[in-house]
Amino acid sequence: MPLTRRQFLKWAGVTSIGAVVFNGCRVPDHEIQVQSPVEMPEDLVTGRDNYYATAAQLGMASEGLLVRVMEGRAKKIEGNPDHPVNTGKHGIRAEALLQALYHPDRIKHPLIRIAKGGPFVEIGWDDGIRELVRILNGRDQGEVLLATPLLRGRVADVVKAFADGSGVRLQGFDPLGCESVVREALRQLYGQNTQPDFDIAHASYILNFGADFLGTWVNPTHFSRGYGEFRQGAGRSRGRLVHVGARYSTTAAAADHWVYATPGSEGLLAMAIAYTIIDEGTADADAASALTGGQGARALQAFAPDSVAWQTGVDAHVITELAHELADSHNRPALVIGGGPSAAQENGLFNMIAVYALNALVGSVNRPGGLVFNPEPVSGRIRTTSLRDWKQTLADMRSGDITAVLVRDADLAYGLPGELDARGALRSVETIVSFSSFLDETSELADLILPCHTPLEEWGTDEPNPGPGYTTVGFQQPAVRPFHETWSFGDVLLSAGSELGLSDLPGADMREAVRSLAMELHERKRGSVVQPTFVEFWKRTLERGGWWDIRATADGSRPELPALPSRPPNVSPADSKRYPLHLVPFEGIGVGAGQYAHLPWAQSAPDPITSAVWDTWVELNPHTADELGLKNNDVVIVESSTGRTIRVPVYINPATPPSVAAVPMGQGHRAFTSYAARRGANVLDILEPAEDAETGAFAWGATRVRVSGTTRTRVVPKLEGIEPARQLHGEELIYVHKA
Amino acid sequence: MATRTQVKNRADHKWGMVIDLDRCTGCQACVIACQSENNIPLNDQSAFLDGRAIEWIRVERYWEGDYPDIKARFLPVLCQHCDNAPCESVCPVYATYHNSEGLNVQVYNRCVGTRFCGNNCPYHARLFNYWEPVWPEDLRNQLNPDVTVRTRGIMEKCTFCIQRIRRSTRGGKQVEDQAFNPACVQACPTDAMTFGNLNNPDSRVSQKWEDERAYRVLEALGTNPSVKYLKQVDAHA
Repeated sequence: MPLTRRQFLKWAGVTSIGAVVFNGCRVPDHEIQVQSPVEMPEDLVTGRDNYYATAAQLGMASEGLLVRVMEGRAKKIEGNPDHPVNTGKHGIRAEALLQALYHPDRIKHPLIRIAKGGPFVEIGWDDGIRELVRILNGRDQGEVLLATPLLRGRVADVVKAFADGSGVRLQGFDPLGCESVVREALRQLYGQNTQPDFDIAHASYILNFGADFLGTWVNPTHFSRGYGEFRQGAGRSRGRLVHVGARYSTTAAAADHWVYATPGSEGLLAMAIAYTIIDEGTADADAASALTGGQGARALQAFAPDSVAWQTGVDAHVITELAHELADSHNRPALVIGGGPSAAQENGLFNMIAVYALNALVGSVNRPGGLVFNPEPVSGRIRTTSLRDWKQTLADMRSGDITAVLVRDADLAYGLPGELDARGALRSVETIVSFSSFLDETSELADLILPCHTPLEEWGTDEPNPGPGYTTVGFQQPAVRPFHETWSFGDVLLSAGSELGLSDLPGADMREAVRSLAMELHERKRGSVVQPTFVEFWKRTLERGGWWDIRATADGSRPELPALPSRPPNVSPADSKRYPLHLVPFEGIGVGAGQYAHLPWAQSAPDPITSAVWDTWVELNPHTADELGLKNNDVVIVESSTGRTIRVPVYINPATPPSVAAVPMGQGHRAFTSYAARRGANVLDILEPAEDAETGAFAWGATRVRVSGTTRTRVVPKLEGIEPARQLHGEELIYVHKA
Repeated sequence: MATRTQVKNRADHKWGMVIDLDRCTGCQACVIACQSENNIPLNDQSAFLDGRAIEWIRVERYWEGDYPDIKARFLPVLCQHCDNAPCESVCPVYATYHNSEGLNVQVYNRCVGTRFCGNNCPYHARLFNYWEPVWPEDLRNQLNPDVTVRTRGIMEKCTFCIQRIRRSTRGGKQVEDQAFNPACVQACPTDAMTFGNLNNPDSRVSQKWEDERAYRVLEALGTNPSVKYLKQVDAHA
């Protein structure tokens, strides 16, 4: 169609007006954003997720958890905001429970060896239980050992009832096991059988001896909750933290002041501080009188700062300064903590008594901001057996007094010092039954494996130790159905116990055992869940992840304080000429002392100080390395006074004291899944099987070593150096506010 | 480029984070929580040895001083979600862009793996998938269905857990402060990390944003990050 002049002018006019009009309107920003041409996949997810509250015991630690479950599969673990111990937060090991559940190397069904040393053959659970009963039936009382890790809550009740009824010898195993030293110190000082809480959140000043309570010691998530408040809590001034220890740990890095003290001398240092504040009259008068038997500072004269300075490696004026800070009324409440390598010495109990007595001298016992006593638990606890007793047990295995070993996640073949040859002792036992979910070193020697659930699949309860100062019972419920043909450990014992005709078992199965405890709690008609009927109580308690009663606190009474020793205990003389370095073993931030080495997330979590992962290394001071002619990644032989050696690469750590060789624990497994086996070296293997003189606990911090070079090198895998630090001239990456 | 003010005007939410270095202990809980939530490939030993480990949030450790007066300081580093993001302008295929809520977003199926964005990021917060991520069959049960598994050859980085943001704000829902958090913030045991809506003056993150200790890393570059750090406090040692 031909365009007329009139039509042209009409269209041109409309277009011009349109251009003016549209040019005046702003196009919404979101319309010009570049968008993905397709729906993002996260919008396409169908199905509903459910959250289940549960609880998990992770060694000494305890965390209340929420598990996100979708289509029957556990997807994510989060802290339970209601749980008083971790209040919504969680650590690496709790997160990695997902990997334990879906681990590719889990034992998927019961296994038996037809002939000693032969291959495993798959069997059914009925046959497995029958075989377990046959093993127990044919033996005299005391011939059978049941070894478990530290257990708490209802499963501990079941294990104890089974052991009492069947007459098996029950022993708790923890590779480090020094919590028993701290517990004994607190029992002697304050008459406490359960570990007190440390009220870090309300303390103004913390003096810590050796315990890496922000990294790996006891319950780091719980302590970290308090630490955040201690530093920058609303409505309070910033607390001051002083750390005394031989290794620059996570807690040392967080501290305002780190003091290196010779390993094993922490008790002397604490006594010197006690002497100073008693002598200067700044200590609590009643406590000072009781702790010195009424003699005052004179009773502790042997520990005067000038007298102990050379043994501790800490200048007398620094000791005096620490004493002044601790006793300063502006620093109240002050809290003193001790543990870890400071307790794992031949004089460990002396050290811990000296350390924890300081709390009495500054008036911080059973007070906010200090030690807060916990009530007795409502369920049983299986505690660590001392190294002294384990030595006897191994001797009994060799002599034939123990003919059968039942073991659940207590890896004796890996975790006891190499010199004790636990592997050899286990080999001399007629029958070994393992209830482990993974083929660890001890389970490898088993004749029968009855694999048990992982924590997300089973019923139970957990009472944190330490609790928050009042009765707290976390309820553990299955968040998912069992992924393989496994049973709950409690159910296996209850089933076998029933076959054996044992009475006084806490229930027919673990669910019933947990319900019977819930009924007891319901009848108290108090605490976090109070419901008219048990059905409602059970439902609400499971929904909340547990039951706690803030009024159920410890009995405040305590016995008269005992007098402190007036002389230090004798310890074996060290061969410091042949073995010039103190070996400071430390737990891996993820893998611990090896119990979590099978979990990839635990392995790949960088050590906070070195950023190293997946391996073992030895940390040396730059000057020490220079003297030995060593540089980073040189493979060295670390030989202990036992004559045993490990070969590990060097990591030169500028914060390592010159007289220290620090080596992480957790690696060097021969078995324990493809993620753990044949990786790094096991430092537990070269430790002296030394004991605390009084408790018999393992003095794993008391070994000396020498380090010599080889011609080999091996790069330490680590995060450090992967991303180069980019810095601008005149601009810091990390700014510091000077207080 | 959009500035914070412009972003503020066009959406209800402007997501931001404050990390208090005085509370951070370097414990790595944030690192592993992020890996679990966001289907990050397993970082095996060779990934670290080859310099190919993928961590959307990493904790850097810096030394200060010499023994015995030495101090380790920690800096958690994640995508800073810069308002003037240097990574966005160099992407030839618009795989990375700034969304209306102040997030620096990565469109995985648009990315062709030039790695220009990674080179241009001054925080080294962008990571390249050199290999196809592989999980053993059983471990795949844990993967988060809300998050895409990234294939070989593309870039990835922290999203502030956008899947959680989407779930909480879907349909234009107004969310209360602290109603949800990214996985790292949720896990952090010392409460060193605070996340929230900077457009809400009452939100916890807005209040910390104005703290006298607050600063941005590499501020002089003018990238205007949505992450601020609170200075560590050095008491007299």
